[in-house]
Amino acid sequence: MPARINNLISRRKFLQLSGALAAATAINNPCRVLYALTRDSGKKNVRDIREAFSACDMCFNKCGLIAQVENGVIKKLDPNPKSLKSKGMLCARGNAGVKQLYDPDRLKYPLLRKGARGEGKWQRLTWDQALDHAAEQFDKIGKQYTRCGFLFMAGTDMQSTFVHQFAEVYGSYNIISHESNCLLSRNRAFLDTYGVMPTPDVLNCKYIILPGANRFEALVTPDSMDLMTAKGNGCKLVTLDPRFTKTAALSHEWYPIKPGTDMAFFLAIAHVIIKEELYDNKFIKEKTFGFEELKDHVRQYTPAWAAKETDIPADDIIRIAREMAAAAPAAMVYPGRRSSDYEDSTQIRRSYAIVNALLGNWDKKGGLIVPAKLKVGSIHMEAPFYEDNPDNRVDAGMAQMMFDEEGSFKHTRDAVIEGKPYPIKGWMTYKTNPMQTGANRNKTIEMINHLDFMMSVDIVMSDTAYMADLVLPAPSYLERQDPLSVFVASSTCSGVIIRDPVIPAMFESKPVFWIVKELAKRLDLGEHFEFTMDDFRKAQLKDIPEVAKALEKDGVYNLAGPNYGIYEGKPFKTQSKKIELYSARYKDNGIEPMPVYKKPAMVPENHFRIVVGRNAYVTQSGSTNNALLWELQKENSLWIHPKPASILGIKDGENLEVKSSVGKVNIKARITRETRPDTVYMDTGYGVLSKGLTKIFGKGACISEILEDRADIISGNMAMHETFVKVRKA
Amino acid sequence: MAERKKYVIIVDASKCIDCKACMIACKVENNVQEGFWRNWIGTLGGENGSLRTEFQPGQCMQCDDPSCVAACPVQATYKQDNGLVVIDPEKCIGCGNCVTGCPYNARYRNPLKRIADKCDFCEDRLNRGKEPACVVTCPTKTRIFGDMNDPQSQVAQLLKTQKLVKIAAPHINTRPNIYYYEGTKLLDWAVAPMLPGNINRAPEFWKSTSS
Repeated sequence: MPARINNLISRRKFLQLSGALAAATAINNPCRVLYALTRDSGKKNVRDIREAFSACDMCFNKCGLIAQVENGVIKKLDPNPKSLKSKGMLCARGNAGVKQLYDPDRLKYPLLRKGARGEGKWQRLTWDQALDHAAEQFDKIGKQYTRCGFLFMAGTDMQSTFVHQFAEVYGSYNIISHESNCLLSRNRAFLDTYGVMPTPDVLNCKYIILPGANRFEALVTPDSMDLMTAKGNGCKLVTLDPRFTKTAALSHEWYPIKPGTDMAFFLAIAHVIIKEELYDNKFIKEKTFGFEELKDHVRQYTPAWAAKETDIPADDIIRIAREMAAAAPAAMVYPGRRSSDYEDSTQIRRSYAIVNALLGNWDKKGGLIVPAKLKVGSIHMEAPFYEDNPDNRVDAGMAQMMFDEEGSFKHTRDAVIEGKPYPIKGWMTYKTNPMQTGANRNKTIEMINHLDFMMSVDIVMSDTAYMADLVLPAPSYLERQDPLSVFVASSTCSGVIIRDPVIPAMFESKPVFWIVKELAKRLDLGEHFEFTMDDFRKAQLKDIPEVAKALEKDGVYNLAGPNYGIYEGKPFKTQSKKIELYSARYKDNGIEPMPVYKKPAMVPENHFRIVVGRNAYVTQSGSTNNALLWELQKENSLWIHPKPASILGIKDGENLEVKSSVGKVNIKARITRETRPDTVYMDTGYGVLSKGLTKIFGKGACISEILEDRADIISGNMAMHETFVKVRKA
Repeated sequence: MAERKKYVIIVDASKCIDCKACMIACKVENNVQEGFWRNWIGTLGGENGSLRTEFQPGQCMQCDDPSCVAACPVQATYKQDNGLVVIDPEKCIGCGNCVTGCPYNARYRNPLKRIADKCDFCEDRLNRGKEPACVVTCPTKTRIFGDMNDPQSQVAQLLKTQKLVKIAAPHINTRPNIYYYEGTKLLDWAVAPMLPGNINRAPEFWKSTSS
């Protein structure tokens, strides 16, 4: 005890002050004292903790983790520093993984719907009963409506590949992923410009524009960490976002851009770079196609013009263009991820891709790179041929250039409702929740009401599972053996990560791999699934045996660079074999070969544009009911600027009605300058219909209830920023 | 290095992205009950709709002159040789004096154990050769942990080379052991500690005894 403490207040004096009270506490409630006395302090005891590697599954990133297991219970998830993708981090959601595992709301056994759809009445089945019933439905629908009459939708998951394989051997082309509610516009744009989807080398960049990409909240490893490291190394960060996100807060400059005008900004940046000849002439000549056309095209897009469109001053646009060019090639327009925003989102992202090309950052340190990816094998299966099947996917031709392997949720849903071009009557979902993530929830319900049979495999009773006829319980990621997963981790490397069960699967939960195998057996397709997960992994590692050892030792395998200049002299996988500033392929398909700016629709009077976004502890709808994360945010709120709030007489925390052309919700107001006066925002993942999500049922509002279901014309990606809402006191 | 250890944390608040990873990591590691937190992220701004511009992690400062220790009537809370201020659960009577006695609001009464509780830099992890959960899990490595008496440690180096500040309570300097990079804007959140029986004493009481 240092002397200073005794000077501060003598213990004796202190006891005089507080002793009486303390004694009273002890006497009045002896239990608490006894509890304290009987407890083993345990401090110096060495705990018997077993460590096990795994890969996180609280979002899509698959960060490396090391589970701490004591007496068969997972006590804690620590980051795995060996993963060069996640670099020794685990976010709030990753840490909350223990509560996804030990969640009283988990599905425990197969359930068959009893009452009306969405009524929440269920009958417990044995697995045999459930699988027999499902197989019967698969068989019946296949016979009556062709095999394509069954739709499959699997989210981002290491076992989704088996759902796809099952769909193929069953005979349906109608497989959709979650991605058409997310990032397809970006992929389309960059693929069509570069012939490949490049990875941003954030770590080594010196100037980054983040257009609507909220990387300090919508976490992507390693980009989110690299962004901070780069900033520490002098990289300038410029954020364009109608919201003052945490990314905006930590950037050097923030511009609350008028939503839907990003293309105007980047066409003006291109205008300045070309007009002032700030580009690398050699790079443009050697590596790009259509520079002269672009030069003519962007002449009209002056900074003064763009200033009026974007609300960003012309001088700033000119300065940013010059600064970027000066930092090039270690300068970039960050490609972003979720791009399900506007009907011309592919063209908007094309403008990002084109500015990157003008910066000459392709294959360069601090630019857009394509790290060498490991060649992982697979077990391929010959899908049977079903003669009566239609010629094409149900959503074929509904977008100008759809990704066949991803499909479009929006267009497929429309097709199911219309029953055209052919009827779809069955739906299997795995680890995806379009009831929450697909704009216009009422339409999803309408779609489901057109089905004869819907089956959901999930961990909890998500809103999508809640609408199903048969709900099958899956184990969490900490209880499963998965195929190996390949990742690309920016400049550092690419790699492979492994996920083995840390503890045995709880309750009656079964992995989807087992489920499709059992279904295949019952449908006389068992021959296609006569392999175990170990067999599958062996096939994956056939050509890369060195990986196995690293996975055992470190839980991850990293393939280090070099990742710059590796494509020098190689043709691009585009029609012109170059970076396509001008796309002749687009022209042939009736699409503008260069992005042509179209003014976004004006926000009507007394309305707001509603935008979609993330925070760092909500993964769409997958984490809002997690007991730990729920403590951070128990419901969502509507962000509204003080100016319109005062006109509408809205006070902070007041209950509001938010209404669009497709639905209305009630939600509390959060009055904040962190959004533009013409733009409102709410987090995704609340206002659930499922009574199985006990922590958040009845809390907050569901954004998909009010988002109109528009689509990106080129990719068929959902366009979620095209909705205007009216706000009033409820 | 025969010298005893002294654990400290150095915080570069400019790196904090307010992702709350440290808060959940702590909660899981230390089994902290619903409604309670051992660490937090303070925010600059946000009042009356203003912009939130800086995020600053905090937790128990493991003070050298801890007012919580002085506040404890049964010597259940004490400062260890390694610098950590800890609570002996066998001695604590749950009176709560230390909770109000902390100028940083770092203590709470554990609702299950019904005794005082707070951050101890994850001593259980330290015993297993691991750094505190909040330090390890952070995406941007905002907190740097170490033994300042080990000249080789990163914290010892930073203490030498970086301009650092401490956050002191207005009326009593408890000599905290969490350092912040100079430029941290949230410096005023420490409060005058209060003790039962003397909460009505003038702030001068604290001033006069802490000199």
